[in-house]
Amino acid sequence: MSPAERAVEHVTCLGCGCACDDITLVVKQDRVAAARNACTLGVAWFGDGSASHEVRVDGRSTSLEQALARAAEILRAAKRPLVYLAADISCEAQREAVAIGDHLGAMLDTLTSAAAASVLAAQRRGRAGATLGELRQRADVIVFWGVDPATRYPRFASRYAVEPRGLQAPDGRRSRRVVAVDVGSSRAVADADARVAVAAADELDALGVLRAIAQGRVASEDARFHPIAELARAMMQARYVALVADGEPAGPPDDLAPDRAEALVTLAQALNGPTRCALATLRGGGNRSGADAVITWQTGFPFAVDFAPGYPTYRPHAGAAALLDAGEVDAALVIGSPASVPAPVVNRLTRLPAVGIGPRASAALFQPAVAVDTGVAGIHESGTAFRMDDVPLPLRAALTGPPSTTASALHALRQQLGA
Amino acid sequence: MSAPARLRITGGRVYDPANGVDGAVRDVCIEGDRIVAELPAGAPRLDARGLIVMPGGVDIHAHVAGSSVNHGRRLLPEEHAADPAPAPTLADGATARSGTGGTIPSTFTTGYRYAGLGYTTAMEAAVAPLAARQAHAELDDTPIIDAGCFVLLGNDEYLLRQLAAGESARAREYAAWLLGATRGYAIKVVNPGGIARWKSGGGGGGDAARNVTGLDDAVGSSAVTPRLILETLAAAANALQLPHPVHIHCNNLGQPGNVATTLATMQALTGRRAHFTHLQFHSYGGERGKGWSSAAKQVIEHVNAHPEVSADVGQVMFGPATTVTADGPVEHLLHVSTGRKWVNVDIELETGCGIVPYAYKEKAAVAALQWAVGLELFLLARDPWRVVLSTDHPNGGSFRSYPELIRLLMDRAYRDEKLKQVNQKLLAGSALLDGLGREYTLSEIAVVTRAGPARLLGLSNKGHLGVGADADVTIYPDDPDRATMFSTPRHVIKGGTLVVEEGQLRRAPAGRRLSVRPAFDAAVTKDLRRFFDEYACVAFENYGVEPAP
Repeated sequence: MSPAERAVEHVTCLGCGCACDDITLVVKQDRVAAARNACTLGVAWFGDGSASHEVRVDGRSTSLEQALARAAEILRAAKRPLVYLAADISCEAQREAVAIGDHLGAMLDTLTSAAAASVLAAQRRGRAGATLGELRQRADVIVFWGVDPATRYPRFASRYAVEPRGLQAPDGRRSRRVVAVDVGSSRAVADADARVAVAAADELDALGVLRAIAQGRVASEDARFHPIAELARAMMQARYVALVADGEPAGPPDDLAPDRAEALVTLAQALNGPTRCALATLRGGGNRSGADAVITWQTGFPFAVDFAPGYPTYRPHAGAAALLDAGEVDAALVIGSPASVPAPVVNRLTRLPAVGIGPRASAALFQPAVAVDTGVAGIHESGTAFRMDDVPLPLRAALTGPPSTTASALHALRQQLGA
Repeated sequence: MSAPARLRITGGRVYDPANGVDGAVRDVCIEGDRIVAELPAGAPRLDARGLIVMPGGVDIHAHVAGSSVNHGRRLLPEEHAADPAPAPTLADGATARSGTGGTIPSTFTTGYRYAGLGYTTAMEAAVAPLAARQAHAELDDTPIIDAGCFVLLGNDEYLLRQLAAGESARAREYAAWLLGATRGYAIKVVNPGGIARWKSGGGGGGDAARNVTGLDDAVGSSAVTPRLILETLAAAANALQLPHPVHIHCNNLGQPGNVATTLATMQALTGRRAHFTHLQFHSYGGERGKGWSSAAKQVIEHVNAHPEVSADVGQVMFGPATTVTADGPVEHLLHVSTGRKWVNVDIELETGCGIVPYAYKEKAAVAALQWAVGLELFLLARDPWRVVLSTDHPNGGSFRSYPELIRLLMDRAYRDEKLKQVNQKLLAGSALLDGLGREYTLSEIAVVTRAGPARLLGLSNKGHLGVGADADVTIYPDDPDRATMFSTPRHVIKGGTLVVEEGQLRRAPAGRRLSVRPAFDAAVTKDLRRFFDEYACVAFENYGVEPAP
């Protein structure tokens, strides 16, 4: 390291939900020169650490005070405001945002809305889970259900559920049996000791057969399910099964998602009769799990909270996208990285007076009337973020960002609004 | 009159048992956030004639914040939808927050509702160290009440390793370090060794193999037993001179016949200060698979005879509840036996978490037994200073049922009437059926709901109205229906601020955090770093609750 460089250690990466906290950022002239230990996703997420510092109203640069005054005007005038929490904001910013939503009587929604099946299944049935570090300590059989974490959760296998040594996996990978279940065209992890193929049309039946066997009920003798019956026996003979599924699969909306999510939960629960089992539902980055946690503790519901009646009500099937589609929303406050907002939401936002507060808000495709650029939580802003398994981690401000953090801008907006 | 600098509460009947005041009519003077001896003649007055004045309530054991509580909240959208809580209208246009209630209310609503009952302090009873940061963030969003965190320690891998190696001194240093790192208040032990066994997996031996059954079962190493865990942590809490002794949730919670384990645990710690929590859930006779009975009498007789022992009751109240505990194996049993939805989260290297929503029904035999056992403990306890009120909120029922519980304790006719309505099947042998005639006095209620818990917690400025005490005061109407009286305080003052005025919540200042930071030998952190390097998935530098630089 040259004298002009400095290293910031133990940095938490929010590139995906793994939230690896062993990153060393090498900083040179207030830019990221290297992100050591980070995967390709992480390296891309840190980027060079440059931030945009614009504060704009109707495209023209202005002061923060004037921008927030205009933002307050827009939001106060709205009959049906939307507060939308996107990626790359800390829990501290999320707490301020929910306060604003509460005060405005707004619809409050988050990235979770677009991939809610696993959250809703957990509300119907519960969870059989573990923090990721406990999978590392305990799991001797790991079943990847139609997911290969390599692309979207690149260090999952090396940090948590497969490779590292753990209390009951003294030889790491060699202490564990990995089973890949390929579901339709969703191929599971490549490094597997066994593979089972399940036709997409058979997926729910296969989960049902596994559960029936785990519960000691007689299962179908249908030849299609012989490999599944064998998998059930392997799981039941394990000491501790990790069942890994994707909570946010790529691709178009999937009619089976609610039933699949529920079948995975109930299978994991049933396996806790004959053995121990934890279901790990993989989630994306940017502290979306933190938004679920914060909104839950402040309102009692994890996402899609409508404050219009004067108190929180839950609209999990009629969140931001549905409300925008119906033309009900007449102004929006979008907090976080605009690039993380799903396309259907972005498209509708372009037609509304919007306030954007977040990293590069001024460059948002939906062209907010008020844009306040802030830093990225975990790069320019400190605070707290949640790993996908709800473990809270500290964020470090390794680089200098815009003068106002997301949380402080929101706090100032709150004061403008009297919230 | 926001945050009155001075206030003289005049003419009320004062119950301040810590200072020997038992219903005398006298003034209570407040200056700033403290009780003072006198005020100048012109100081503002609050007329309390005909009213009852007590210190603010202190809840010694409740589940109000943190990762497990929030998993529970997430699991209960139906309850939240059924109990909306619009923002209260505060004085001077101050902003309040809306929320939802049910057995696990949202954070702001939790603070408002505690204050609305005249409670000004509550201890969060089970914080997983790994998630302490979350518990503190939630408490920051829980207004009015002062709160502290009990930190889970009885199944922690690093601790168990020290015990296996005979390093009890290092175990003590670790406990000290951990309390500081998590900003905790006391050491909590839940089912010592049992959660570690539950997490270690397998199912071959059935549920018995995935839990401990008694004090001398081996936990991993043959040298480590629940007995050793308990002895070590009780000794550590005393050696570190913590304000509250080790806070124990015994093995075999909720199991018939668990009285043997409970008494054995008390005997193992004879002569050492220890607090036994939700004792009701640990006072059953009978035998697994063969029936239940009350063993409250045996347990309370031991407590009565041993001044080093204290307890909170963990009363069961009829109605909805949510069982939420670090005791994962117990919740699995409850899930299997009730078919209700179930959350389990094994927490890396430390502890567990289990949640099952539940309802105690008068016509259900076991629920009726649990209800009776709790009342027996209360009514047979000789020293109210050592056997204090809790429902293990929300496990035995919500904290909102405290007024009803107080009426059960104070009003024998009401209690006898209720007793007739419950399932009698398992009540044979219950002292309650013999007609326990005791009625708690207002002074005794003041002991079990404020003075006693504060003393057991070592909170010298709380639970009393002596000079220098925190100005936490609750003023109740003297309603003969004690449930009404205790659910509708006329005024509540928290830290000198009038938060409830004429029965309405009017101010909601932030509460303070209660925490300890015992000294420890820095050598332990060197060893801990090695352990973290080898096993942890969170950097040592990112553990604990201090904000990152």
